[in-house]
Amino acid sequence: MSARDRSLLHRVFSPVTLGAVVLALFTALPLYWMVVNSLKPVTEVGAMPPTLWPGEVTGDNYVSAFVDQGFGRYILNSLVVCLSSTVVVVSLATFAGYALARTPMRGRGPVMIALLMVSVYPPIAVLVPLYVMAREVGMLNSYPGLIIPYVAFNLPFAIWIMRNYMLAVPGGLEDAARVDGASATRTVLSIILPQVRPGVFTAGVFTFTATWTEFLMALTLNSQDAYRTIPVGIALMGTVFEVPYGMIFAAAVVVTAPIAVLVLIFRKSVVAGLTAGAIKG
Amino acid sequence: MRTTTGKTTGIPAQRPPSETGGDPARGRGRRAGAPPRHDAQRRRMARTGWTYTAPSLAVIGAITLFPIVFSLVLSFSEVRIGYGGFVVERLTLDNYLALVRSSDWYYALGFTVFYTVVTVAAEVVLGVLAALVMERLSASRGWMMALMLIPWSMITVVSARLWAYMYDSSYGVITWLLQNVFGANPLILGTPASAIGAMAVADIWKTTPFVAIIVLAGLVMLPRDVYESAEVDGAGPWTMFWRITLPQLRPTIAVAVLFRILQAFGVFDLPFVLTGGGPGIATQSLAVMGYKVLFQDLNIGAGAAIATSTGLLVAGACLLFLKVFRAQVGKEDVA
Repeated sequence: MSARDRSLLHRVFSPVTLGAVVLALFTALPLYWMVVNSLKPVTEVGAMPPTLWPGEVTGDNYVSAFVDQGFGRYILNSLVVCLSSTVVVVSLATFAGYALARTPMRGRGPVMIALLMVSVYPPIAVLVPLYVMAREVGMLNSYPGLIIPYVAFNLPFAIWIMRNYMLAVPGGLEDAARVDGASATRTVLSIILPQVRPGVFTAGVFTFTATWTEFLMALTLNSQDAYRTIPVGIALMGTVFEVPYGMIFAAAVVVTAPIAVLVLIFRKSVVAGLTAGAIKG
Repeated sequence: MRTTTGKTTGIPAQRPPSETGGDPARGRGRRAGAPPRHDAQRRRMARTGWTYTAPSLAVIGAITLFPIVFSLVLSFSEVRIGYGGFVVERLTLDNYLALVRSSDWYYALGFTVFYTVVTVAAEVVLGVLAALVMERLSASRGWMMALMLIPWSMITVVSARLWAYMYDSSYGVITWLLQNVFGANPLILGTPASAIGAMAVADIWKTTPFVAIIVLAGLVMLPRDVYESAEVDGAGPWTMFWRITLPQLRPTIAVAVLFRILQAFGVFDLPFVLTGGGPGIATQSLAVMGYKVLFQDLNIGAGAAIATSTGLLVAGACLLFLKVFRAQVGKEDVA
């Protein structure tokens, strides 16, 4: 038994285990701190020394975030904007990705490079024109006023992802469909689309996460309280003199938890997307 | 472009009159002996391709390309703010001349580049280490991956407020730790050097998982047999890492680095919420400076020049990278 004990001891204190523990703690402790402080009474959130566990667990912060601050409105706004953007982006990207991967259209190379350049161009550099355009057409503080730029800025990456998945679909599928007399659009929808379902998930998860976390455009275009998205709502909570951290963290937990669960469920798509962008792109 | 009508897809393969221009049927000569019917088919497919791409390109063109050009024009304009918005008075180089004379802009440029280099370097080193650790985990690897995806998927504004709370000088847990473990009495976000460091740590916390997951995916795909034969030859783990693992991971790491560099050049959310660019202008990135000049000082021309300088930095880095990357991985289908 002693040999086994020694090997166990070796396992427990190996550099890998040590590294894993450090990694897990570094990642998890701030998250723990956010959750714990959302459950503390207001006075305890500002206590020094800080308490590692709430003296009294309370839901007060959640109540004040949602009842007093009306945080539910921001969540609704975010859901409307992000879900609409995601649906539009994935639909457009499916067809564009198909065209760029599987048709002999000319100029594919330049289009792909242009898309790449646009997708990395920093939003700050287009903000004033976007603001002016939105104001000219009366779209400041509206849903479409944010959805349209979100679609435009997330399309390029989604097209890249869809194209990469389309490339991997075996050739000749379209020919069979064409022989059967299916139109091109019908072929894409009923023959190709089912083959690239993981790509649709990946592009969808990426677009949703990107729009869900986007701050700068939302702050500039939709600053009015009724149209604030979650990041803007959380950034503007409180004043210079008083920051209601308990309430902020209550809101933060509510908006982080579902996304974390989503990401866990679609973990494979997310990882595939990260690496598809990385290895193929 | 001829194919924006959107309904041409159903029209069968009659030769369109406008097709004579660029691409004659045998154009690319890929299949020399292909029958004519194949060419007609091919041309129809090409037209369908443009029809499918047109809506996306139209949206992208109108909402990104047009503003990029508009912004460029503004950066060369003298802009006056009036009641009905702003008016472009005349074209001028003054905005850029003012930038070149502005010590704030040099600082923001230097800070942005410095911050990018430091955080990306740290994230790559830590990300590779984390990936090496995760690769050796068996049952817990999935859980570790799940845990690390949480910060990555978090709203940056949320993580910025979380770190601001932990750094707070009167009730922050990190301030308290530094006081009680190291006997220091820090104003973490109140002094330039520590504010920059604090911002970097918050960034590393949120973004290292991104690098780690990409690198891990690359690691898993490395062929095993090379390691086995290296082991037979008596190579230690250190040698194997430097001689086998790292060289093969290079393309993977390169792309992760590109993504990170491009993001970091435009960094806005974190400094805006965590420090407001302060103390003073210590953590003021180009994007934060651009935002303040544009929307707080309402100095449109100057702001556009700052924003354009950020865009040029990013575009330049991107082009440079593509060039290097293509030279390195010549055979891969980059475009």
